[in-house]
Amino acid sequence: MNTELMMWFLRLAGLICVGLVVANFVASRRLGYARSLAGAETLVRQIFYVHCAYIVMLISGLAILSLGWPELFLEPGMGRVVSGFFAVFWGSRVVVQLTYYDPKYRRRERFWDFFFLLVFLSLAVIFASATLVTQ
Amino acid sequence: MKELLNIGLILAGFGLSVLVVASFWIPKILGWKEKLAGLTPLMRELFWTYSAYILASHLFFAILALGFRDWLLSGTSAAAAMSGFICFWWSVRVYLQFFGFDLEEVEDTALNRLAKHLLTVLFVCLMILFAILTWWNLGGAG
Repeated sequence: MNTELMMWFLRLAGLICVGLVVANFVASRRLGYARSLAGAETLVRQIFYVHCAYIVMLISGLAILSLGWPELFLEPGMGRVVSGFFAVFWGSRVVVQLTYYDPKYRRRERFWDFFFLLVFLSLAVIFASATLVTQ
Repeated sequence: MKELLNIGLILAGFGLSVLVVASFWIPKILGWKEKLAGLTPLMRELFWTYSAYILASHLFFAILALGFRDWLLSGTSAAAAMSGFICFWWSVRVYLQFFGFDLEEVEDTALNRLAKHLLTVLFVCLMILFAILTWWNLGGAG
């Protein structure tokens, strides 16, 4: 694949990641994190929110890199390793959604389930392509 | 300086590897399974999924520190960005260690106290190492 085209796809991945960061905040309200965690012990609640924050931080970092410096993901050596990590990251997210998340809930939210599967799959394909593309 | 940072990265990689392995005991020590039982299935699934991704990130940092030291010490903007990100990651963790978590619910045993202190030392060392590495990659050593 052409390097210039690949860089556009990586920028698109960056935009998708920005969307995911926003979606995380929407999800916390829609899924009622605060209400669901109200009965949990303080430490469990804190760990949950800390993990959420770290995931958002990781996706934000990825968005910044993909939008600002997409060429980094195509550099031989390290660039490919980072791309490979994110290909596995998003690929495994598809597997988690299909095999681990509550099927009843997924059926109830069929549109969003399909939408996010498509989003995660697109990101996995983009970063896998960045790992494999030869300059 | 470069040699020192190289040794620091080997130690960091080793420390992160130990952290990744030790992380498998954290749910047992903190009784996550029992404590999460009262949550809805979706919240439980989210909790475990997020935890797994955080663990994977730590494993990735360990792989970087052990297998890609030359690149992390290359003095490029990409190496500075990566070092800076990892430094930020551990700075947040250090802040949480001192001011974020309420550890009163954790059983006060000698082993838990030791684990807490070792974790604190590890997080502080990682924060300092990656801060120096960021400075180095930005040309701070001249």
